[in-house]
Amino acid sequence: MSLAFKKETFRDDYTYRNSVQAIKRFPFPFPEDQYMYSVNIEPHTKGAVGSVNEFSFDVDEHYVAECEDKRITLEQDASRCVALPHMMDAQWDFLELTMEALANDYPEHFTLTKEGARWTWENRPLKIKTTFTFGDASTLDMEPFEFMGRQVQGDFVLLDQRDGTLFADAGIVTSQADWSLAFNAGMSWNEWHGPVPQVTKLGVMDRALKYLLSLQLGSPVRRLNWTMTINPRLDTSPENYPFWGGDRNLVTAENAGDKVHLRVELQTLFRLPRSNAIMFSIRCYLISMQELSTFPRWAKRMHRVLKNLHPDLVEYKGITKYQAATLQWLSRLDDGAVLEIGTHAE
Amino acid sequence: MSLLTVTVAAIEQVTPLVKHFTLMKSDGGALPAFSGGSHVVVAMNINGRTHRNPYSLMGSPGLNEAYHISVRLQEKSRGGSAFMHEQIKVGSSLQITYPVNLFALAKRAHKHLLIAGGIGITPFISQIEDLRRTGAQYELHYGYRSPEHGAFNDVLKQRCAERAHFYVDSEGQRMDLRALFSQQPLGTHVYVCGPNAMVVAVLETARALGWPENHIHSEQFTAPPMGEPFTLRLAASNMEIMVPAEMSMLESIEAAGVDAPYLCRGGACGRCELEVLSTNGGLMHHDHFLTDAEKASGKKIMPCVSRANCGYLEVNI
Amino acid sequence: MERGYWIRSKPVYSTLIWNQQATAHLVVAEGVGGGMAVLKLFQQMHPEHPITVLYADHEQGSVDYSATLQRVVPEGLQLYATDGAALQAVKAYLPQARMGLRIYVAGSEKFMWEIAGICTEYGIENDEICKELTGTLARSVYCVHCKGITHDVHSNVTACVDCGRMLFVRDHFSRRLGAYMGLMVDAEAPGVLPEIEEIYP
Repeated sequence: MSLAFKKETFRDDYTYRNSVQAIKRFPFPFPEDQYMYSVNIEPHTKGAVGSVNEFSFDVDEHYVAECEDKRITLEQDASRCVALPHMMDAQWDFLELTMEALANDYPEHFTLTKEGARWTWENRPLKIKTTFTFGDASTLDMEPFEFMGRQVQGDFVLLDQRDGTLFADAGIVTSQADWSLAFNAGMSWNEWHGPVPQVTKLGVMDRALKYLLSLQLGSPVRRLNWTMTINPRLDTSPENYPFWGGDRNLVTAENAGDKVHLRVELQTLFRLPRSNAIMFSIRCYLISMQELSTFPRWAKRMHRVLKNLHPDLVEYKGITKYQAATLQWLSRLDDGAVLEIGTHAE
Repeated sequence: MSLLTVTVAAIEQVTPLVKHFTLMKSDGGALPAFSGGSHVVVAMNINGRTHRNPYSLMGSPGLNEAYHISVRLQEKSRGGSAFMHEQIKVGSSLQITYPVNLFALAKRAHKHLLIAGGIGITPFISQIEDLRRTGAQYELHYGYRSPEHGAFNDVLKQRCAERAHFYVDSEGQRMDLRALFSQQPLGTHVYVCGPNAMVVAVLETARALGWPENHIHSEQFTAPPMGEPFTLRLAASNMEIMVPAEMSMLESIEAAGVDAPYLCRGGACGRCELEVLSTNGGLMHHDHFLTDAEKASGKKIMPCVSRANCGYLEVNI
Repeated sequence: MERGYWIRSKPVYSTLIWNQQATAHLVVAEGVGGGMAVLKLFQQMHPEHPITVLYADHEQGSVDYSATLQRVVPEGLQLYATDGAALQAVKAYLPQARMGLRIYVAGSEKFMWEIAGICTEYGIENDEICKELTGTLARSVYCVHCKGITHDVHSNVTACVDCGRMLFVRDHFSRRLGAYMGLMVDAEAPGVLPEIEEIYP
């Protein structure tokens, strides 16, 4: 499979765009005209060829640009990468998992060769080549979690399992929807979910935790989450809220197509072998309303989901200010025809 | 649950009652790395029925050419340990789960106090590998009935040196738990695996000396107690089956072809919990997971070890 | 924002009660409220094992409980003029302590979490420390933008002591930092502030 990596930005001039192929494989999350929050976990098994679920970790046309955006965010704020001291085994587990997956699934871009504990890793798109000793952090120029966290798209949190719950004890988070790793590092499941609206979710959070506590080695799982973003901006952190928060004021019924983006998070969870920790990955896919309307079915569905969205969710997802403008833009494309259940594009 | 097929590469008689099995992946590939304290559940085909027993993984968690388990021949065996000792030979094939860890080391502990009794030494062997590798502070206290029953004590003396303490019952050597627990620095965690009486003694002594609950860890692989046969209705599967005296509810459900979740099969982890829909009498709870109130309410049951104390029980699987 | 939500991360404090299984007890308290909390604790039947009480009585001119405490606490009472001195005393006590120790803290939220921070270095977890909030509801606020922490905040909105941004004081609390999250309140409408209410006296 050949991938042409795009040169684009997720900040300032926002040159990010999806190719037709990227739009087609977009993980559109709405099977019905009404969106209901649910745990919706399923086994993370090999998906359809070319889909975002085909491999454990998806590398797409935005790979190089996204890693560059991550690098900029980390340079400006080192606290976006945290690993508490007792998480070193989990760090190596993460490095092994991601390196082996990328080398196995995208051999044209990544190569991993092992001679006992001496590993040689080559990442051709990012022009990285290094030989190191697995388990010996002094042989890499940064800790293993940060090393690979910079080379895979998305955010990663390593959860230590103890005392009947999970603790967010390591993370590399540069594309989050509005939570702070620097603040949340070390929190337990209940603590970091504190701000999530409890009204509809109390039981769901407890059930999700119970499920994750018995997550098995060799049986990863995944789910989709979604929100909306103005401009194709990855770094919508609370830290930089002063810089992106005001963008919500700039949306009009005319420019909503270009400015308003659907942000879908593909979340995967893997049990890690040596540390018994859980790796939680959050991978963002961004698509503008304009690009979405390439497939009329999606535009109609998006219109209806947004129109019927529960007010609590509208507020929690930060959509309040531009919901009306976005609905106006989308409504022109909705002829009211009945749509069958399913997320397919056409 | 995902399963691995392994071949027995070697069998060693370690003590008169204990055999050590070396298992390698049948297709020649590497086995997954695991965390110290993990176990696998071995599925055995005994007279047409699938019998499943958990065994701790010994050996180094990092090296993954082979897994090592030890099986003690139980006096009142329901067939599992007898099968492993008598039927399994070098070259035999077995199905095992991926490693599961319900006895993990507390990563932020300042010191680890390991208390083992008899065959309960097995999970500590892989834990000790992790502790040595990370340079952690630990002590092992290992009690067994007589010198020839001290499985692996040569290996342990070699690896642990002065950190290992041995107590031979037949020579009158006893662990003084009160003295031991009274002199530990802040941040110590205690781990116990062995016969029920020893586990209870460790838990009670630590609690009585003010140790917080989350600093106390235990693992027990007790066989499910037998009992009177009873009828079990599986509501969601729309089936009625018999649970014979010598099979657990979980085993009977599995034998009927219904997929039931499990992790420890010993009443400790809560994974197999079922909802009781109806019954024509009481329940016999043998687990350590439900609270007293939950047991009394009669609405939940752990099928891996518990049974109906009457002729009929209906559950939601 | 999410004021209307019940937030699980906000710690809830209790009343100091002796733990009957503990083999040693360390009580640390500050101020008038802390002094009263210790007096209440000593109204309960004392456990047999050794008790050490460290009391920072730093408020002068108002009620002084140190004399009463000297009468009520049988032995092991040490008095300090400042919170800082009491914290140093905790640091000096812990190295020789053994498993079985229970810790009891009474004072402001800031004081309690500073002690919890010291205890974490010795492997003592938050749940093992009995905490009673006394004297003030003042909050420490972590500015998520510049990472500075502003102490003694009594209202729902505060200026960050380091970067000057106006921050909304959320209920989302970090035990590691001992502070609530503060998020810029007027990022979307500069200068437009909600009504400032003193709700943490």
